[in-house]
Amino acid sequence: MLNYFSASTISELICFVIASICLIKDSNVVWRSMVVYLFLTCVTELMGVYFAGPKLSISNHRVYNTYLIFEAGFTHLMFAFLINKYINSKPLIITGFAIFLLIYIWETVYNRGLQFNITSYKVSSVLFVVYSLYYYYLLHKDDHYIHLKYSAEFWWVAGALLFYFTNTACIIFYKPLSTMLLWNGHHLIHYIMSALNILLYSCWSYSFICRKWLTPTSLV
Amino acid sequence: MANTDITGLIIITTLIFLIGAAFVLAYILIYNQRKKRHIEEKAQMKLTFEAEIAKTQLEVQEQTMQTIGADLHDNIGQLLSLTSLTLNSIEVGKPVKAREKIDAAIDLTLRSIKEMRLLGKLLQGDQLVVMGLSEAIRHEIAWMERSGKYKVSYEDDGELPAVNNPDKDLIIFRILQEILNNIIKHAGATRVRIKLGYTDGSLQLQVNDNGKGFDAGNLDAVQRGMGLFNIQKRAGIIGGEVSIASRPGKGTSITIITPYP
Repeated sequence: MLNYFSASTISELICFVIASICLIKDSNVVWRSMVVYLFLTCVTELMGVYFAGPKLSISNHRVYNTYLIFEAGFTHLMFAFLINKYINSKPLIITGFAIFLLIYIWETVYNRGLQFNITSYKVSSVLFVVYSLYYYYLLHKDDHYIHLKYSAEFWWVAGALLFYFTNTACIIFYKPLSTMLLWNGHHLIHYIMSALNILLYSCWSYSFICRKWLTPTSLV
Repeated sequence: MANTDITGLIIITTLIFLIGAAFVLAYILIYNQRKKRHIEEKAQMKLTFEAEIAKTQLEVQEQTMQTIGADLHDNIGQLLSLTSLTLNSIEVGKPVKAREKIDAAIDLTLRSIKEMRLLGKLLQGDQLVVMGLSEAIRHEIAWMERSGKYKVSYEDDGELPAVNNPDKDLIIFRILQEILNNIIKHAGATRVRIKLGYTDGSLQLQVNDNGKGFDAGNLDAVQRGMGLFNIQKRAGIIGGEVSIASRPGKGTSITIITPYP
C-alpha cells in the first residue's frame, strides 16, 4: 500500500484536488480540461505502481505509453491556447503534434509496445521546451504589462519549462539512469523525477490558484 | 567510469539544466518589472506633457488678453476719445468746419472699427496655432510691428509637413512669444529676425535680435529668470534642444531644433 504514496503520486494528487477546486467551473474549456488531464495522470501513476507492484510484477510500459498520447495532447492544447493570445498558434502546434504522432506511431510499431516510447517522450519534451521559450519570447515582446506574480499562464508555463527542460538532462542519460542503482536500492532517476514532479505540480497548483482567485477577470 | 562519477555527472547536468530554466524565468520576471517601470514613466511623462500643454494654452490666452487690454487702452480708447472730442467741438453754425470735423470723426470711427476687427481675430488666442504655426508667427509679428519700435523680418524656409502636430505647434509658438517678450522687456533691440525652417523631420526656429545681449556663458540668477529656463524646459518636453548665442552689445541668437511632427 505504501508503494502508492510516493512524492510524485502525492504531488499529483494534491495538484488534481487543487485543479478540481479551482478549475471545475472555469469559463475556459482548455483550463477546465486540466482537471481531466490531472485525473488521467493520477490514474496512470497508480496503475503504473499497481502493475509493477508485488501482486502483478509486470511491465507498466503500455500504461505509460498510452498516457504519453494524453500528456502530449493536453499539453499541446494548453500551449496552443496560450500562444494563440499573441499569434496564430495553429501552424506551430499542429506541426509539432504531427511530428510527435508520427514518431510515436513508428516507435509503437517498432517496439510492439514492449518498451517505453522514449524517443517520442524526448521529442515531446523538446517541443514543450520550445513552446515554453517561445511563449516567454512573445510575453517579453508584448508591450502590455502583466502582473506575473499572479499570472496563471506564466506559472503554468514556468512549471512546464522547469520540468521538461531539466527532464531533457535525464533523457540524455536515460540508459545509465535506468540501470543505475543507489546505495539504498533505488534508481537515481526516481529521485530526480520526484523532485521534478514536485516542482511541476507546485507551479501548476499555484497557477490554478492564481487562475481562480488572483488573475484579474479582464485577463481571463 | 565508476558509478559514483556518473551519478555526480548526472546530478550536475540536471542542476545546470534546472538553473538554466530558472534563469529564463528570473530574466522574464526582472524584465517584466522594468516594463512596468517603463509604462509608469511613460504615463508620468504623458501627464507632465498634458499639464504643460494646458499651462501653455493658458499662458498664450493670458498674453492675448494682456495685448487686448493694452490695445483697448492705448489704441482704440484713444481713437474713441478723439472721436468724442472731435464731435463735441462741432459748431453747427459753421457748416464748412463742421463738415471737416464730421469727416475726421468718421475716419477715426472707421479706424476704430478696423482695430476692433483685428482685436476680434486676436481674441481667438491659441486658435491662431490651429491655422498653422507659420500663420500664427506672422500674426504675432504683425502685433509686434504695430508699436513702430521694431522692424521684424520673417523667413519661412522649407515646407512644413502636411500633417502637423498641434501640441508641438502650440509649445513652439509659446516659446517664440517668450523670446519676443524678452526682446521687448530686456533686449532694447530695434531689429528682430525670425526664421522657421524644416529639414529631414526636424523643425528649426531661429530668432536673432540686435539688442544689448548678455554673457550667455555666465548667466546670473536674474538673467536665468528671463524666461530662458522656461524656454529650455518647454523645448525639452517636445524633445527639442535650445542653443543660445549672445555677447554683451552684440545681440542675441536663440535657436530651437525639435523633431517634427
